[in-house]
Amino acid sequence: MKRPSVLALAVVVLAAGCSAPGADEKSTGDGTGPIKIALVDAQSGQLSSLGAWELKGARLAVDEWNAAGGINGRQVQLDVFDDQGDPTTGTNLARKIDSEGYLAMIGTAESAVTIAMAPILKQAEIPNITSGQSPGLVAVGSEFLFLNGPTSTTYDETLAEHIVDKQGIKSIAMITNNGSYGKGEHDAFLKALQARSVTPVADQVVTTDQKDFSAVLTGIRQKNPKVIFLGAEEVESGLIVKQARDLGITATFAGAAPQGTPVFLDTAGVANAEGTIVSSPYLGNDVSDASKKFAAAYKTKFNEEAELHGAKAYDGTQIMLTALKTSNVATGKALADAIRATKYQGLLGSFAFDQTGVGIFATSIGTIKGGKLVAAAG
Amino acid sequence: MQVFLQTIIGGVSLGAVYALVALGFSLVYRTMGLVNFAHGNVVTVGAYLASTLYLTSELPFALAMPIAIVLTGAIGLVIERVLRPLENRDFDLMLIGTIGFGIVLDALVIAIWGATGRAVPSPVPSPPLDVFGLRIRTYDLVVLAIAAAATILLVLFLSRTKRGAAMQAVAMDHEAATAIGIHVGRSNAIAFMIGGGLAALAGGLVGPLLYVSPALGGALGIKGFAAAILGGFGSIPGAIVGGLAIGILDAFTAGHFQGYSELVTFVVFTVIIMIRPTGVFGERTVNRA
Repeated sequence: MKRPSVLALAVVVLAAGCSAPGADEKSTGDGTGPIKIALVDAQSGQLSSLGAWELKGARLAVDEWNAAGGINGRQVQLDVFDDQGDPTTGTNLARKIDSEGYLAMIGTAESAVTIAMAPILKQAEIPNITSGQSPGLVAVGSEFLFLNGPTSTTYDETLAEHIVDKQGIKSIAMITNNGSYGKGEHDAFLKALQARSVTPVADQVVTTDQKDFSAVLTGIRQKNPKVIFLGAEEVESGLIVKQARDLGITATFAGAAPQGTPVFLDTAGVANAEGTIVSSPYLGNDVSDASKKFAAAYKTKFNEEAELHGAKAYDGTQIMLTALKTSNVATGKALADAIRATKYQGLLGSFAFDQTGVGIFATSIGTIKGGKLVAAAG
Repeated sequence: MQVFLQTIIGGVSLGAVYALVALGFSLVYRTMGLVNFAHGNVVTVGAYLASTLYLTSELPFALAMPIAIVLTGAIGLVIERVLRPLENRDFDLMLIGTIGFGIVLDALVIAIWGATGRAVPSPVPSPPLDVFGLRIRTYDLVVLAIAAAATILLVLFLSRTKRGAAMQAVAMDHEAATAIGIHVGRSNAIAFMIGGGLAALAGGLVGPLLYVSPALGGALGIKGFAAAILGGFGSIPGAIVGGLAIGILDAFTAGHFQGYSELVTFVVFTVIIMIRPTGVFGERTVNRA
């Protein structure tokens, strides 16, 4: 996938080069045309399923607002940019959305890309609501960066509490990847275990595009853990589970958001994923009236079942649009402050942002039963 | 010891797929002296065609595969036909042409099948075999058998048929081949067609092992290309040895170097290439590029 991205990069660089650096023409800020919001997400490459879900969630929210008359009589224009899940492409896109006068950005779904884009967006004063969950996002310390869900710390603390404290399981192995998401999960889960004086029986790191896990899994099989924690994206986690079952590993798997998605289930195989413990702020479409309404609208519009990532992007976009309305279509710092002040009852729970840009601090535990994610008993 | 053997088993099954990808690279290279940079993308197309016929059209896997191979072989023919006017005129343009084709195929795949990808269930549902505590997936054995059969057929075609011999002749000296009346263009077309078919075979076989997405061919293409170089670019046995070597090397570095495995794999690869620039079975005769 290197060649297409090189070409796309060249195009983006050329496009970005056309405007003088730092030339801020946020004409839409006080003008009368449509309110321009950029959605930056992987629309191609291995992480494109995340980008596709996120686009659907954001599109649904924007269309609802536009159908209701937009903001102050102005329509909201959501433009899509493909970052290919690649940080370099992302930084070029950050300059592009700055030079093209976008007020705000939704995305990305990939922590590494968002972290790479954050300094440019901070300098350009473009508020950004990301779907990433790496604690690294908070470490960036940008007052223009907001998360539409909990960080890995929250996911993994809840998970460790369930596995260690409630179920009393101490024999735990970890497999995480060396990407931004996996690294965040590794550190957060390990910290949660250490706080409970539990040492994992194995702590294996894989690369993000590894395909064969025989060596890692055979090593883990000899340790015979009860639970294997996964800190990797959907497809890779699915492959690990599939290969683990082929190697005769019967341990239960556990993880955060990716392990509750249909892509994970399809890749792993429904029977192989049975019993997987998932820490997620959105366990399913039947949790509340709001989620039922969202899922129905999603199904009507896109003819597929809604899931976590779409719900997160929907929440994030709703918050962004609400802040735009309450601030009377402010830009830059004023818009960021308006987002921070927004209290929003969303699909994931009640959002109340703190100084770090995190708005929600709870997840629930679910398990996969018969190919469906259901709330765990107890 | 068990970890050691299990690691080899894991590496061999993906290694067989790398070998098939390497064969496609090498076949086109030995015939035309051209690196087909679109090969990885052709693998993706093959994987999508096979999985679509298998899952959406619900054909049996054994039927879906040959159809996908024929269709993808036809794509190989199209690539060769478009590039043919450049043959012997501007070699660099031809290389860039294959890169361009790769981008077009990539975009087509996303336009037709979407960016999300799909999981392919194993066509061999029986549980893995347990041999002295080692687990061997039955599907891996199928992959190995088919890869071996494909290689034998290819070698027989090149050595025992008139057309195959003609291709060998073009590979050795294409001017002399032209002088004795061998149709070089047709040889090239056949090389591209077989290359496409091998790509579909690799992509179709790897689908149930991995996850079919637009990014699939990129990853396999790079490993397959490395495998072809390692074995000796243009060499048929070299492609097989190189593919298996890269697969096993990858499996071991993954076990020992964890997050740095990719780095170590390619450092080892680079060192081997520095020591033996022509690869294990390097054939200098095809080096006319």
